[in-house]
Amino acid sequence: MKTLDIALKDLTHSFRSVFAVGMMVVAPLMLTGLIYFAFGGISSGEQSMPAVKVGLLNLDEMPANAQLEVPLGDNIRSMFFVGSVAPWITASDYADETSLRRALDEQEIGVAVIIPKDFSAQYLIGNKEAQVVVMSDPTLSIGPAVVQNMVTSMLDGVSGAGIALETLQFRQQANGIQPDTAHIPAWMEGYTTWYADFQRTLFHNPNQAAFIMVAPSAGQTETTDPIQKVMGLTLAGQMIFFAFFSGAFAMMSILDESENGTLARLFTTPTDRTAILAGKFLAVFITVIMQGLVLLVAGHYVFGISWGEPAGVALALTGQVIAASGLGVLMISFVKSSRQGGPVLGGGLTALGMLGGLMTSNMPNALPAAMNTIAKFTPQGWVLETWQMVMAGSPVTDLLVPFAVMLGTGLVMFTLGSLQFRKRFA
Amino acid sequence: MNAIEIKNLNKSFGDLKAVQDVSFHVQTGEVLGLLGPNGAGKSTTISMLSGLLNPTNGDATIMGHSVTKEPAAAKASLGVVPQDIALYPDLSARENLLFWGKMYGLRGPALQSRVDEVLSIIGLADRQKDKVGKFSGGMKRRVNIGAALLHKPAVIIMDEPTVGIDPQSRRHILDNVKELNQQGMTVLYTTHYMEEAAELSHHIAIMDQGKLIAYGTYNELITLVGEQTRIDITLNSEAEKILPTWRKTLGVSKIDETDGRITALADDSNRILPRLFDSAAEMDVRITSIDIQEPNLETVFLHLTGRALRD
Repeated sequence: MKTLDIALKDLTHSFRSVFAVGMMVVAPLMLTGLIYFAFGGISSGEQSMPAVKVGLLNLDEMPANAQLEVPLGDNIRSMFFVGSVAPWITASDYADETSLRRALDEQEIGVAVIIPKDFSAQYLIGNKEAQVVVMSDPTLSIGPAVVQNMVTSMLDGVSGAGIALETLQFRQQANGIQPDTAHIPAWMEGYTTWYADFQRTLFHNPNQAAFIMVAPSAGQTETTDPIQKVMGLTLAGQMIFFAFFSGAFAMMSILDESENGTLARLFTTPTDRTAILAGKFLAVFITVIMQGLVLLVAGHYVFGISWGEPAGVALALTGQVIAASGLGVLMISFVKSSRQGGPVLGGGLTALGMLGGLMTSNMPNALPAAMNTIAKFTPQGWVLETWQMVMAGSPVTDLLVPFAVMLGTGLVMFTLGSLQFRKRFA
Repeated sequence: MNAIEIKNLNKSFGDLKAVQDVSFHVQTGEVLGLLGPNGAGKSTTISMLSGLLNPTNGDATIMGHSVTKEPAAAKASLGVVPQDIALYPDLSARENLLFWGKMYGLRGPALQSRVDEVLSIIGLADRQKDKVGKFSGGMKRRVNIGAALLHKPAVIIMDEPTVGIDPQSRRHILDNVKELNQQGMTVLYTTHYMEEAAELSHHIAIMDQGKLIAYGTYNELITLVGEQTRIDITLNSEAEKILPTWRKTLGVSKIDETDGRITALADDSNRILPRLFDSAAEMDVRITSIDIQEPNLETVFLHLTGRALRD
């Protein structure tokens, strides 16, 4: 009971200290907030970038005797009106080229797409001069590139279908089979559908895509939004960095008490010294847990960060608390005075945090491989790796190894620090 | 029964013998004043009694409980008022008292009512919600004392509780000590102020250089120096010039110089002073002030050690 009383007293002291609260909660949120606003600030999960406004002029017509259900121009046009692209493409039809160009000049639209009158006919006979014209606002870069890529992908699909059809007819004739022209539209449609799915799968896969231009659909989590992902990794880095500071500074209260005479006074009461030390340690644990919980909740509601599965989050947070508390207890056990503690902790924890990758947590592949190896020798590096895995959706079973490392190192550091304290205050 | 019994207590820090074979006792219900200059061993002795230090040799008991063998029971009978303020400045006076009460095992309504009583005793009931960090030095000292009274200890040790405070708070603390003692509490009180020891103490113990050099009532200690008068003198030049001459002066039993002030013990100041003035004039030394005091605890210390009892 006295252990709890001492812990509660320490917590009261911590949470009444503007400096402590600033270090625990305000600083990590503020630093993350700065990065958040630097990225544009809107990260609610509904839209990750301004929609590209596309104007369309489709003059294509169905060629005579073509084995198509609709002109190719209609397929190209319809791409820009499907629901899956609606969050990031706003398309509108124009009646003639003059009005389309005026809209582009007046920046009503960012990209103009003109499909010429006989495009399907020329394309199907292999005329290389057949062109879909894409014009864009010169101040834009990503939007026009996306539109051009979509058109190219569609036409590649049609060309691929043509090649596939020729190959099929050649093989049938080689085997003495007369091709049934009635099936050709169905074959081409089947190929085109497969190709579209292939493209979608390829570019929507986070592991393969260089840049993801998709808004989350109903089945996806918010972490597929790159800005939220960056925010999540940034706040994870800040949370870990300041968790280790909180652990150490909470433990430094024992030095303050020693210097203020209250620790000696505690020793004159009928309270066991083990209970006194346990109270101090308990306060450190609770402080780091509370800090972590506050930042997780604030990160979710302020920045829209999805931290991952609850079980994984619990495991990562527990490991973080044990590692941060253990290192805090160990470091303070060797510090002689609170005056010495400030620079020692500031320098030591900042250096360990940097080596652990906390300053570049939002750029996981930005550092040389050697730095990633060095990070494995710091508690912060293991905690960060665990959070990265949790946020990437790794199953809990994959988290057990990093958790075991955090638990083991944390407990070893805690034990060594405790022994040093017992020796010091015996 | 003795509330405090100290038997052959020793404490060494390496080669330094801070406390050497000290033995004395404090009877239940009395105030004992523990006197001595800095480095005399008072704080080390108190630290051993309160469980902060383990004796190198010897033992002590608080209400019959050995501080080495039954520390928890000894501590439960003891309230300690440290010399420096040992409180949490960011907690209010009430919060501080509640916390220290819990450390002595008090809980619930008993704790709340006892805190109310102590706040009343120390005269801070109307400031109980204010943070201690905002208090004056005297008010902090009163809370510092209050924290040691919460569990109604049989014995209280007060280490220089009136250092550096205003006369009003000092008076309040001295009255508190008397009142607590009248209620039956045994008090071990260390101080540099002779008048405090004389006013409060039933018995006085004097320590110097780790040893107990005198123990007794005020009157018993005064009789050690007989009828000697203490004479304090300041000069306009270095004391070393004239001290050898004055030491040989008939009727001067002890003479010492501290911080430019000469202190002498004389059997009869009326006869001695003219001789001192004459020799000063012969050596061209000017006496700038002179103060004659009847025998007191300072005189006793000077008599016993040959040195003045000053910081």
